[in-house]
Amino acid sequence: MTVALKLAGIRKSFDGAIALDGADFAARAGEVHALLGENGAGKSSLMNVAAGLYAPDAGIIVIEGQPVSLSGPAEARRRSIGMVHQHFKLVKPFTVAENILLANRRSRYRSGIEEIRAAIRRQADELGFDIDPARRVETLSLAEQQYVEIVKVLIGGVRILILDEPTAVLTDSEAERLLETIGRLARTGTAVVLVTHKLHEVKRCANAVTIMRSGRTVARLDPRTATAAELTVLTVGQTVRLPPRAERGYGETRLKVGALTCARVDGRIAVSDLSLFVRSGEIYGVAGVSGNGQAELAEALIGARKPLSGQIWIEGAGDVVENSSRRVASLAAIPADRYAHALAGSLSIAENFAVANIRSSRYGSTALIDRAAMRRDAAEAVIAFDVQGVRSVNQRAALLSGGNAQKLVIAREFSRQPAVVVAHSPSRGLDARACAAVHERLIAARDRGAGVLLISEDLDEILALSDRIGVMTRGRIAAEFERPADRQAIGRAMVDHA
Amino acid sequence: MLDPGAMAGQEKSPPARGPPRRRFGRLTLDMRQRLSPWKQSGFLAGSLVIGLALSLGVLALAGIAPRTLAEELAGTLNADSLRAVLVQAAPLILVGLGASLAFRIGFWNLGLEGQMIFGGIAATGVSLYAVGPVSMRLIIMGLAAAAGGLLWVLLAISLKIRFRVNEIIATLLLNYVATYFLFHLLYGAWQDSKTAFPQSTPLRPFERLPDIAPGINSGLAIAIAMVVLAGWLVHLSRVGFYMRFLSANPGMAKVLGVPIQAVTIGAVAASGAAAGLSGFINIAGQEGRLTQSFFNGYVFSGVLIAFLSRNDPVIVTIVGFLVAVLYVTGQTLQVFYQIPFTMVQLIQAIIVIAVASSEFFIRHRISWTH
Repeated sequence: MTVALKLAGIRKSFDGAIALDGADFAARAGEVHALLGENGAGKSSLMNVAAGLYAPDAGIIVIEGQPVSLSGPAEARRRSIGMVHQHFKLVKPFTVAENILLANRRSRYRSGIEEIRAAIRRQADELGFDIDPARRVETLSLAEQQYVEIVKVLIGGVRILILDEPTAVLTDSEAERLLETIGRLARTGTAVVLVTHKLHEVKRCANAVTIMRSGRTVARLDPRTATAAELTVLTVGQTVRLPPRAERGYGETRLKVGALTCARVDGRIAVSDLSLFVRSGEIYGVAGVSGNGQAELAEALIGARKPLSGQIWIEGAGDVVENSSRRVASLAAIPADRYAHALAGSLSIAENFAVANIRSSRYGSTALIDRAAMRRDAAEAVIAFDVQGVRSVNQRAALLSGGNAQKLVIAREFSRQPAVVVAHSPSRGLDARACAAVHERLIAARDRGAGVLLISEDLDEILALSDRIGVMTRGRIAAEFERPADRQAIGRAMVDHA
Repeated sequence: MLDPGAMAGQEKSPPARGPPRRRFGRLTLDMRQRLSPWKQSGFLAGSLVIGLALSLGVLALAGIAPRTLAEELAGTLNADSLRAVLVQAAPLILVGLGASLAFRIGFWNLGLEGQMIFGGIAATGVSLYAVGPVSMRLIIMGLAAAAGGLLWVLLAISLKIRFRVNEIIATLLLNYVATYFLFHLLYGAWQDSKTAFPQSTPLRPFERLPDIAPGINSGLAIAIAMVVLAGWLVHLSRVGFYMRFLSANPGMAKVLGVPIQAVTIGAVAASGAAAGLSGFINIAGQEGRLTQSFFNGYVFSGVLIAFLSRNDPVIVTIVGFLVAVLYVTGQTLQVFYQIPFTMVQLIQAIIVIAVASSEFFIRHRISWTH
């Protein structure tokens, strides 16, 4: 088999932040080549270089034996590299055929669209799925949109196909089908690069795997001979151990959610009649395949989304659906999207720290706020919670890295000794060390007597931390498990109802 | 965060073997993560210079040589012109303040002229119907003007809150409603019966703003007082702290229990009141009666002042004075060189565009590689 795509010594930095530091990669024609690594390891950046989206600072790109320098995605396409991005690049109000025509220009619209329609049908038949070229993209499911993306690049005559986290948005059965399709494609001679952080996908369908860690390539091996443990060690670097749980009972109920129903922005019901409770000294984990209403549940709990009906009761604050100021006093919110709901990137660290307690007299009166007190407290918290990369508490919060920004959020939220903690994917996008620090804080809050609700799509995180686990499917808790929980059983519950 | 598109090769690479050579190199666009305040000011100053140079070019095309302009500008330094600048600065500072208070929380109040009109109408109404004792008349007129501007902007914000009407459209179009209502009064019930011009009867002497210095009316004092008040509100009070979060991240403000609705309505109301006061100063300070043009061009100037001062009330004062210089020079040019007033607006527009583009260079870095 010939080497279809080779990247050697690729470096790329963004205004001083190094994303790629001498990364190497090579994929052969006819193989599914997995690119494995944690969030932020540089997988997407490296593939964006291959797809002509980023210009590398240094390094060589060789396509089918020819060293090239790509001026942009259009040239990459001409050189038969196509990439399906994690966030689809489709024009939603356009039909499938129009979207594909947009990426594969024809000289005339009318004859072009006919040509494209025929090509879509041919391509879809070959791959074994069904797509109506006349449907508008916004009416398609995420899985169907992904097929449109794949067909779009294949019709352009692509021989090197890069898929960036293609299964992240899919249900298990959809992911299964996609992986089969990918295998079929590879057998026709296409080089498929599968960017992923899921080990089982690598084991299941890849012929080769390259592992990246902090911008570098650390290994290239055969997934059939490597064990899952080996792959994990190579991906994570060091194994991080959590402190063992002290055995003791639970206290009184701290958070009670009753018959909660929430809608998505588009009006579809996302959380349906959901009830749960969390006691003092307990971590309740909500597991599930993403997209089953976890995001909406978290947003309703932290006050970012108004539920259609139901109660959210918090010890000491009462029903907080209608009263958000009481909620703020007794609930610590660690949302999944820090820059949407927890931090104002353009404001200073001190301001971001103080805002939650601004109503108390601690930071001055209504007429005159006390900025010196804000800075003092923020500086103390920065040290206590080990927030790194802080030269001054006057610097903008956006300059903090993901892990340190999360530590700042936690420092602020825990400064009030909250009765309840709601954390949604608290370690998303963090490296192993920052992730461990976040987990320690959650455990410390529980040991202090808070009730912790942990919502996460990462089953390992749920299993490591939770005392009780609820599996969320289709907007409700479908099954509950006590610790120690059987991973297989939880996995089945997640998939069975999905 | 890191989502730069590296773009634009300058030529198609040849299909030949080997790495293609590039004749023109390659333009790369990156996001900057930080830039020192000094460099930021440098970019800002550079863009201002470019904007002014372009303005000079436009004026030269209109027949005013840079030398003539320099002489005219030097002429502004005489006592009369300086007084004119100080008088002109007061209403400009107030509309700038009005614009910046609303812009701070992301409410695009383009209805400053409508609010000025209703400020002027309310103040004139107090005079025409002789509301309150003579000694209190001027104060009542001022309060009425603030209330007039406030109520007019409340219409736009309630449309936004109740029916989600975009405030840019609502405030802008309500300017026309206000203008025609003003015409309705000036060509009808409030028309001066002696002159039959479309303007109200003149204000009585005690209804006009007294001078704080010869030739300079107390409008400037009112404007400065409002600047101090707004500076306190924005920089020192808890409300100002909330306003920062509201504009920086509304989603977060909601989660953290910031009283979003109250802060928004308060800031917008203050914005309308400031514009209303600006109308009052033009009526009771300069014009001496309600006219059909006392508000012309102020929306644009207000937006410009707020924009150049980055919505900071203290800087609004400085920029307000600079725009006043532009106005006074423009008036001289109008009289002596038959340059239309739109030329002043054109220059304002050129400067806005220049400063807006400096923002691009502050946020991005363009590098040239071979």
